[in-house]
Amino acid sequence: MKLQVKLALYNTLTKVAIILFTGLLILLSIEKISYNHIELRLENDKEQTLKNLSSSEISSILGDKKAYTDYNILKEEFITITQTKYNPEITREVKFTTETRDFDKYTQTYRILTHRLNFNGHTYILHIGVAIESVEELKSIIKKFTIVVLVIALVLTLISDLVFTKFLLAPFYKIIDRKLIKVNDPMNFDYQKIKTTTQDFELLDDSISSLMKKISNLFILEKQFIANVSHELLTPISIISSRLENILLHEELSEGSENKMHASLKTLNRLKSIINSLLLISKVENNQYDKADMVMIAAVVMEIQEELEDRIEERQLTFSNNLKYIYTIKGNRPLMHTLLFNLINNAIKYNNAGGAIIISDELKEGIYKVIISDTGTGMDKKQIENAFNRFEKLDTDEKESYGLGLAIVKSITTFHDIKVQINSVKGEGTTVTLIFNVPNPNLIAA
Amino acid sequence: MNVLIVEDEKGLALEVDEFLSHEGFTVEHARTKKSAEEKIFVNNYDFILLDLGLPDGDGFDLLKMLKGLDKRDDAVIILTARGAVDDRVSGLEQGADDYLAKPFSLSELLARMHAITRRKHRLESNDINIKGLKVNIQNRTVMFNDERINLTKKEFEIFNYLVLNKNRVISRTNLTEHVWGDVLEINSDSNFVDVHVKNLRKKLSQYIPIDWFETVRSIGYRINI
Repeated sequence: MKLQVKLALYNTLTKVAIILFTGLLILLSIEKISYNHIELRLENDKEQTLKNLSSSEISSILGDKKAYTDYNILKEEFITITQTKYNPEITREVKFTTETRDFDKYTQTYRILTHRLNFNGHTYILHIGVAIESVEELKSIIKKFTIVVLVIALVLTLISDLVFTKFLLAPFYKIIDRKLIKVNDPMNFDYQKIKTTTQDFELLDDSISSLMKKISNLFILEKQFIANVSHELLTPISIISSRLENILLHEELSEGSENKMHASLKTLNRLKSIINSLLLISKVENNQYDKADMVMIAAVVMEIQEELEDRIEERQLTFSNNLKYIYTIKGNRPLMHTLLFNLINNAIKYNNAGGAIIISDELKEGIYKVIISDTGTGMDKKQIENAFNRFEKLDTDEKESYGLGLAIVKSITTFHDIKVQINSVKGEGTTVTLIFNVPNPNLIAA
Repeated sequence: MNVLIVEDEKGLALEVDEFLSHEGFTVEHARTKKSAEEKIFVNNYDFILLDLGLPDGDGFDLLKMLKGLDKRDDAVIILTARGAVDDRVSGLEQGADDYLAKPFSLSELLARMHAITRRKHRLESNDINIKGLKVNIQNRTVMFNDERINLTKKEFEIFNYLVLNKNRVISRTNLTEHVWGDVLEINSDSNFVDVHVKNLRKKLSQYIPIDWFETVRSIGYRINI
């Protein structure tokens, strides 16, 4: 979830909570306040009534009747006095209830004060009621009003929050988009500062920029290092090998020495191969090759097949080229050649005499696969896991494996965004699958 | 034929010098760009072996300067450890005749120099006679009494290289590199070349005895004449 959405969600939830809380508080307090108010009035009325009662004869009010009732004209208030069973214990307590009473035509809701009093050896119950319809009406109006005001406040603050966070986070998203998502290579990084007044974002921007600066400096260093190493290592090798060749040419050597010289030359050659392979890997990883060629896979395979024909014949292998599609990728032709050469050469190298090599392809939903399978020695799980590591060698009769062939394959496939899979069964053979045109996960915008 | 070696590595220059002198070339040295420029202004050379990384500048500048001079047809072979592909391409584009990545074998250097000589002079007398076999480098054919021996492209390459470097043991690795170039610098299998040599000898032996075509055990091959 994006930060902006999270913030908006959090804001919404807290606001809703606050509004619910304040709404309830207001509504409850309205209830309380209005009832309090009414009850105070009723208390006053009761006091007034009692004063009146003590000064005038209660019997004269009641007369012969057992009860006395009096409503005012609009039935807004009433007072009743009824005689009950005598109870000598006087309580001063006052009870409040809310009740509905029916009159000839309509009902009214009253807040009623109930009080017992003793008078001249009789016990009377005094009810004083005040209609609370108006209060209820007021309450509902206030409720509605509160809700409307709160909802409007909620919407307004939410909108303002969203707008503000959007504005606030805009530089942040710019940083992410321009400096992280769109950058695959530190060499072409955009060092322009993103405009922002937020200190943290400035810090983030600066950190990313300085980090990228460091990385690209390291890249440059590595490139220089590679160029230097190649020169500094290959030159001495060149000197030694020339020297040995000259000794072989002009000196009278014993056969043993001559053999040793040749063995040394071979060793030098091995050193050269290792250095060149490592250089190739580093150069590919450093994007020092361009990808401007249109490479037709089938043509490259044909070429390699011709190059390796003699070896295939020599080892009595059946080589089936079952490529059905003319598939072209944009890439570096020499590198693609090296890639397929190494794979096919491995299929020959690790095959049993009289075995088979099958190269096939498939095209499904725009994804193109080239499958190179052999019937050779195969690899177990652990060997497959380590297959792409540098200097990882399989036990083989071939003495001239430096364990760099698949490391080179790995770097070239990565460079071309090709996925490579190895399936193998020990003793039965190996299948290498190259998967082209897989959407690059780095390029999917977040 | 005179050769100028432009190379700051004294050791390497000396070895190339020794080898080429032995092959009958006259050799001069230049260890800096500046001294190379002076020498190039004064003399015409048949070959300039040019290292790109010089202490006081880039070999490419020398190449540009040379190509800017009138009436020069010095053949330039770039020798460098900067094995970058674009170096190779731009070297050839700027008028170098060939390009060798260090470390190279001296016999390979010789073969390239011969090839350039042939291209430049269109030598008619390109037939090399070996025990009654006529090797014509122009047409890439081997004849025996006007009958053409049917060799594949690679078989001819191997034979030609061995003939050119006659009386010298040529290792399998060296042959492999010469015939296949860089493609096998990774995991090169030296027995690659054996199959071809075997076929080549079979074909030649149908015409003449080939005891002069030696296999040097565990090393390589030699043509003794």
